[in-house]
Amino acid sequence: MELFITKRLLMALATVLVVAVLAFMLVHAMPGSPGAVSLGAGATQEAIDEVNQRLGWNDPLVVQFFSWLGAAVQGDFGISLIDGRSVSADLASRLPVTASLAAGATLLSAVLGIGLGVTAAVRGGMVDRIIGGVCGMAVALPAFWIGIIFVYLLAVQSSVFPATGYVPFEVSPQDWALSLALPVITLAVGGAAFIARQTRASMLEALQQEHIRTLRATATPTWKILYVHALRYASLPIVAGIALQFIQLFGGSVIAEQLFAMPGLGQAVQNSVSTHDAPSVQGVVVIATVVVVAVNLVLELATKFLDPKLRAS
Amino acid sequence: MIPNVAPASADSAEPTTAAVPPRAPRQSSAKKFAGNKLFASPASVAGVAWLAALVAASLTAPLWLPYKTEDQDFTAVLSGPTAAHWLGTDELGRDLLSRIFASAAGTLGTSMITVIVAVGLGTLLAMLAAAAGDRVETVISRVTEVTMSLPGTVIILAVIGAVGTNIPLIMAILGVLISAGMYRVILGQAKSLQSQLYVDAAKVDGVSTMGISLRHVLPGLTNTIVVQSALIFAVGMLIQAGLAFIGFGPPIPEPSWGGMIQGASQNVYNAPWLMVPTGAVLALTVLSANAIGNALGKAPNSTASHLPSAAARRRRTMSVKTAVAAIAATAPTPAGSTAAKNTLSVRNLSVGVDSTGAGNGVRLVTDVSFDVEPGTVLGLVGESGCGKTMTALSLLGLLPSGVSVTGGQILWNGRNLAAATDKDMESVRGREVALISQEPMRALDPMFTVGYQLTAAIRRLRGMGRAEAKAEAVGLLEKVGIVDAARILKTYPHQISGGMAQRVAIALALSGRPRLLVADEPTTALDVTVQAEILSLLRGLVKDTGMSVVMVTHDLGVVADLCDQVAVMYAGEVVENGRTDSILENPRHPYTLALLAADPHANHAADMPERLATINGQVPQPKDWPSTCRFAARCQFAGSACVVPIPLLPSGTGDGLVRCVKADELAVEGLDWVATEVASHHVLNLVETPAVATRTVEKDHA
Repeated sequence: MELFITKRLLMALATVLVVAVLAFMLVHAMPGSPGAVSLGAGATQEAIDEVNQRLGWNDPLVVQFFSWLGAAVQGDFGISLIDGRSVSADLASRLPVTASLAAGATLLSAVLGIGLGVTAAVRGGMVDRIIGGVCGMAVALPAFWIGIIFVYLLAVQSSVFPATGYVPFEVSPQDWALSLALPVITLAVGGAAFIARQTRASMLEALQQEHIRTLRATATPTWKILYVHALRYASLPIVAGIALQFIQLFGGSVIAEQLFAMPGLGQAVQNSVSTHDAPSVQGVVVIATVVVVAVNLVLELATKFLDPKLRAS
Repeated sequence: MIPNVAPASADSAEPTTAAVPPRAPRQSSAKKFAGNKLFASPASVAGVAWLAALVAASLTAPLWLPYKTEDQDFTAVLSGPTAAHWLGTDELGRDLLSRIFASAAGTLGTSMITVIVAVGLGTLLAMLAAAAGDRVETVISRVTEVTMSLPGTVIILAVIGAVGTNIPLIMAILGVLISAGMYRVILGQAKSLQSQLYVDAAKVDGVSTMGISLRHVLPGLTNTIVVQSALIFAVGMLIQAGLAFIGFGPPIPEPSWGGMIQGASQNVYNAPWLMVPTGAVLALTVLSANAIGNALGKAPNSTASHLPSAAARRRRTMSVKTAVAAIAATAPTPAGSTAAKNTLSVRNLSVGVDSTGAGNGVRLVTDVSFDVEPGTVLGLVGESGCGKTMTALSLLGLLPSGVSVTGGQILWNGRNLAAATDKDMESVRGREVALISQEPMRALDPMFTVGYQLTAAIRRLRGMGRAEAKAEAVGLLEKVGIVDAARILKTYPHQISGGMAQRVAIALALSGRPRLLVADEPTTALDVTVQAEILSLLRGLVKDTGMSVVMVTHDLGVVADLCDQVAVMYAGEVVENGRTDSILENPRHPYTLALLAADPHANHAADMPERLATINGQVPQPKDWPSTCRFAARCQFAGSACVVPIPLLPSGTGDGLVRCVKADELAVEGLDWVATEVASHHVLNLVETPAVATRTVEKDHA
């Protein structure tokens, strides 16, 4: 088990490193030098060169990479070319937004998805077909389309929730929850459908296992067979599905953040990519990767722990 | 937004074990692309039709579209559907219909780039990993693992920052990201194909690795590839639309679906209609691709659930009520003087596939009757597919979903179990009638310890407290011959051997002190030496507890060893029954003769024939069972007299019955089932042939 954890930690570290290199190369392939981006149109070539020189743009790539990496390891991702603010500080203020969005959406997806999936698998017949149809629709409709419809119905027509904007938790927990509600629900529609399908398939497979018959032969009550034994058997692929869902939702928050005007990481990516703000792009790519890899690691350890065969080895 | 794994077909029973290694991979190796599946489901037919229509309409768009995509009609800005603009107009008065269809071909085409890259790269890597051995596989798998744990959307956006909104290139890079998931989906299958015997044969013949991959592995992957292509196509479209929505689509004013939805979202307050046409077309297109993927990916005939669906349970309760009424009218009260305590009487039992399902009312067991006296063992003998297991499972009301008792009675202690509800059966199962099944490893729940499973059953069936149940569990394990019971209680099923697992399964069956034990081939899956131990354990238990046993087996040695009575089953009916000694010594039915002649153990060493007999052909499918003698087609003695329905009549030896018009004739003439000529190239395998003949009887899936 220790060996396994060590291996996984090394893998996670390697993943982050690979992404760091990738991000560095992509940023260098961006059109325009930092000086040009930072000073904007109309700057003189001398001024641009001066900025480039100061930022080390003319150093060999390897030198640039390691000086960036050295700072990044200490949590310093440089300063934005656009507004001169610290990238790290900016990301630190944005991370909670995206994290609450992704975590909330994953949680809601998991609860709804497992509930619907188990119901579909257990009830069968018409109920199964209806849930299957709804999930098919939910997967086929893009999140942004669903989000706009929610805004229209719940915010504009009935003003139950605020249509856009984000209220930090420290300011008002209640408004924080309300401001998250619509984006979380929007992202959870597709996520819940995905997990529901996964759960249904896993539950059906679990119910085909021969040990279910043994349980029935020893008069195990149906609820216990379903919710203790079958769900337990089905839990591994379901947890794996939830882990995948978190990665997708974390990335998918770009759209929700745009739609609901939330100042999260997704918005930062979108802005910095549009403005060619190299340090910001680099920072956000690495931070997003670190979060995703960390959560993945935790969930992978969870699946390991759930499977007696793996736990023993 | 970007899935890091190719979505698995959601309707197949195989879950996406994405981050977890798939447990017990199902052998779907020979699954070839089946086009007819595409047209079996109305949804996928509609999907194909919609995609075809969309492509055709889009490619011919300049010929028929009423407006150019940039035409602005300022008299009808943000209009709903009108005669001039069938789907309405946007904020600049541009015709939605024209813009949607004009941009369709581009959307579909660029999504195909993702499909081609993802599927091509994923398949190539999987085939390479499967062909080139462990080290290459490890490297490729590590790389794909890293790829799969990346935040795909963020990476794609960073790429856009570097290369601009070059949609074909971005879709190709998206394909690279998705190919990691595709690799995971394909790898297992490619490996199983690579390990097929015919691939080994090809290697021996000197076919190159490349040749094997192309000729033998790739064709087997076709169906999966097509399924995944359809699903990735849908994902590609959604992501492309998403990118366009956040402003990374084709340059304005070129229309794109995502960009049009973005435009519509700006006007959702005053013109909500705008959301509908583009959203609907996008959703329909994605639905179409998914429907095609799901239809092709559907597992052909998945195994039935061991738990009846809620709908089936309700139906059963309803039908049981009417059945109880009917039986009460026709049959004498089961609790009458004839039924002694703890005697099982099965009367004219029929089991069939429910007429609502795919099997359409096919009967699997017809008109089976037998009795089991307390403390005796009845053997149900026959080949696979003769209905033995179905008969046995019906005694506990544990028939698989979609299969049910269609007639007859199962009388046990004053009750007709055939007409009992599932709820009623819960008080019988475990406490009065218990089950041991064929594969002990699969009969125990892999997720719970032996101790948990055993004590839970004891507490439930005997109403004991936790501590008391634990002591009882130790006692039970010792009773079934496990020495270190305390240690075994702490283990998980995968940590013990098959023989040990079967002992645990027997202990579990005994936990409610049943009076009748149904044993479905309890030794088939075990090693020969362990078989003997388990049989002797069962023999001892019958003696000690006085319970009776219904033993399903294909092994006449087990019958001779353990059974007091035998019922020989063929094609869903009893063809001969009686006392074990009289059946083994003096078989009357040709099928019994044949089984005995084909069993190497039943022949004494002295008069072991030079060549063991075989029975030509195999048990016919239930839907093909004739109303006349069902064995006639394979019988050496069949004649014109056999083409009538044959009743079960006294055989003349003891209380035995036999279902054969020629039984008396055979007995008088003393005829034996003879070994038939074997084609010359089989003679080499002489030693193995009889074994094969008897071993085909294994695994009664009925």
